[in-house]
Amino acid sequence: MSFTRQFLALLAMSLAGIPRRVGSVLTILIGVSCAVGVLVSMLAMSSGAHSQALGNVSDDRVVITSLGARGIESSIPREEADTIRNLPGLKIGSDGKPMVVLQSIVPIEGRRRPAGTRGFFGLIGVTDSPLRDSQPEMRFTEGRMFRPGLHELTVNNPCVRQFTGFAIGDRRAIGGAGWTVVGHFDQGDAQQCVVVTDAETLMSTFKSNTYTQAVATLQSQAAYASLRQALEADPSLHLEVRHEREAMEEGIKQLNALLNFAAYFIGSIMAAGATLGAVNSLYSIVDSRRREIATLRAIGFGSAPVGAAVLSESVALALPGAALGAFLAWALFNRMAVSPFGFSFHLIVTSRQAAIGVAWALAMGLIGGLLPALRAARLPVTAALRAT
Amino acid sequence: MKYLPLIWSGLWRKPGRTVLIFLQVSVAFALFGVLQGLKTGVAHAVSAARADLLIVHSRLSFIAQSLPAGLLEQIRTVPGVKVAVPVELFGATYQKPTERIGGVAVDPVADWPSAFTYTIAPAYVAAFSKSRTAMLIRDLVAEKYGWKIGDHIPLTLSVPQKDGSTTWAFDVVGTFSDTDIGGGRYIVIVSLPYFDEARLTGKGSLNHFNIALTDPKLAAPVADRIDQRFANSSHETKTESLRELAQSSMQMIGDFDFLIHAVVGAVLVALLFATTTMMIQSIHERTPELAVLKTVGFTDGAVLLLVLAEALLVFLAGASFGLLLATLSLPVAARFVPGLSMPGVVLVIGFALGSAVALISASVPALLAARLRIATALGGHGAA
Repeated sequence: MSFTRQFLALLAMSLAGIPRRVGSVLTILIGVSCAVGVLVSMLAMSSGAHSQALGNVSDDRVVITSLGARGIESSIPREEADTIRNLPGLKIGSDGKPMVVLQSIVPIEGRRRPAGTRGFFGLIGVTDSPLRDSQPEMRFTEGRMFRPGLHELTVNNPCVRQFTGFAIGDRRAIGGAGWTVVGHFDQGDAQQCVVVTDAETLMSTFKSNTYTQAVATLQSQAAYASLRQALEADPSLHLEVRHEREAMEEGIKQLNALLNFAAYFIGSIMAAGATLGAVNSLYSIVDSRRREIATLRAIGFGSAPVGAAVLSESVALALPGAALGAFLAWALFNRMAVSPFGFSFHLIVTSRQAAIGVAWALAMGLIGGLLPALRAARLPVTAALRAT
Repeated sequence: MKYLPLIWSGLWRKPGRTVLIFLQVSVAFALFGVLQGLKTGVAHAVSAARADLLIVHSRLSFIAQSLPAGLLEQIRTVPGVKVAVPVELFGATYQKPTERIGGVAVDPVADWPSAFTYTIAPAYVAAFSKSRTAMLIRDLVAEKYGWKIGDHIPLTLSVPQKDGSTTWAFDVVGTFSDTDIGGGRYIVIVSLPYFDEARLTGKGSLNHFNIALTDPKLAAPVADRIDQRFANSSHETKTESLRELAQSSMQMIGDFDFLIHAVVGAVLVALLFATTTMMIQSIHERTPELAVLKTVGFTDGAVLLLVLAEALLVFLAGASFGLLLATLSLPVAARFVPGLSMPGVVLVIGFALGSAVALISASVPALLAARLRIATALGGHGAA
């Protein structure tokens, strides 16, 4: 008999024997599905954080900040802000002016639902360039845009879900002034709370004379180089320009690295545990079939197909475990909202993570099956046949 | 105790199986130890944060809003305040934009270190107050960049100097260590009077005031009195102890507990299943031996206890080894997450959980063993 035919016959026999070995089989299945389930759910965190932070990124938008500064450290004085509008390569908006939105960002403390714990949201003052031009992904679901000079707030829907006091008509005291919530909007799938108001009103409330950053729209992606050159050529400007994608990625980089590390760290420890469980179960399966295997060897089955069949059985039990684990991760946690370290996002289970889970299960199955397969292949035929 | 050899020989009947279960239990409890250590370590760090050290910051938000320097007089004169130190924070980079260092500018008033969590040698404190461009560096900074006392270090700050340049230079006059977990790893201290005078923008504004108290018990009333002084002014303040600040930053970490419970739950379920099956398998194989035990006079209860004891022994050994591994790995992990520790309570919870899982997973096999009927078992019908 050829290797393949022997192997298939043996595999069919092992699989047919599954109902008689429910315990061992379930051990492998559950061990693998727990490990894969945890790995996939935790990877879903970092992928959710990443995809939702970058979901609204546009390749023709750039972020201009003060040199070397990150986040709210950045500060752009009014004079420099004026020169930004005259930089080359900027797209002209429907109002005939370059599409530059200067932003003044103030983190404000709020109360998170449901427990009322402390959390921060960004209050972003924007200059009066038509936001519809530069941020076409902004979509109102209720109310309207703020009116300049009136202490009005326009908030995105994640704020309404995550914080208290953001219903239309709610008044909030910020910086000694009363502010009214007048509109709710959605911006793609972004889950970070964003509160928008008029930059001048915000800056006069906080007696600030500097903007935090500028978001500009380019005529084309090719205009980036000339814009960058123009900034670097002027020694009086302490500004730096980055693609919006780059700026957003930098903001989320640390969190992503942490979440990925945690996912693979916990995932690999659990995988090690599941592999040990699989080794034990497969050993006991092989042991319980000693006479059967010895008989097969005696009637002419080779040792290689016997080993290969055990290895395949191990993989064949691990793969449904992976499928179950990935399914549970999806069913239990997909689109669950979390807010670690002040970042808010939904967990997203994608086919890519399911594939990673399956690959891990494959590895667990192969590694776990290796030693038992060797034992089965090397079974001393005569001794095993004589054994009671 | 006299049954110990019996339990021992039961365990080593199939050494491979026992070792594998032991390793599986170890792995599970190593993970439990690290996760639980993370959680209790953080909680422990919060309760260890000083409650007698107050921070006066803007009511609006701690990070972004400034306070005018002029508030100092009114804060200093509040009864119970021993030292009040104006503090401004800034961001700096060294050589590359990725080498980021946190800057703390303090006014070196008398006894200013008492209002901080830093440990600074008195000679360094004296040297710091003598020079305007002096800089104290945290030990971790000295380690990372190899800066030494006397070095003249150029830093790029997010704040420009009066001439518009963002390059500043400071002289290293000493090092310090920090026990606080929230302060950042790479921090330097510079002199606020010099920094404020030399900067182009933001003159006279501060991030917060640090306050040391004459009596730790006065924390709450002093905080209230300070906030009352500035109530309804254009610079409303919020005064909090370091511990309160640590608590609220812990809240910001988010659904930490849920995550840990979910992972530990998944680990224990998998473990429970694996060991239950293995034990049942083992009991099946040992049917004749157990029958012999009963024949020589062991009661059903004794056999039950024997099987439970075997499971307990493996689990407690595995849990000890796993928790030991976790304890050994924590100093490494603490480099990434400051404030990690393995308090005794984690060990207690670990052993309790280990015993519980052992007893639950052994209960079915132990009952099977106890109900074994000698005649059938010795007759060979029960043998695997």
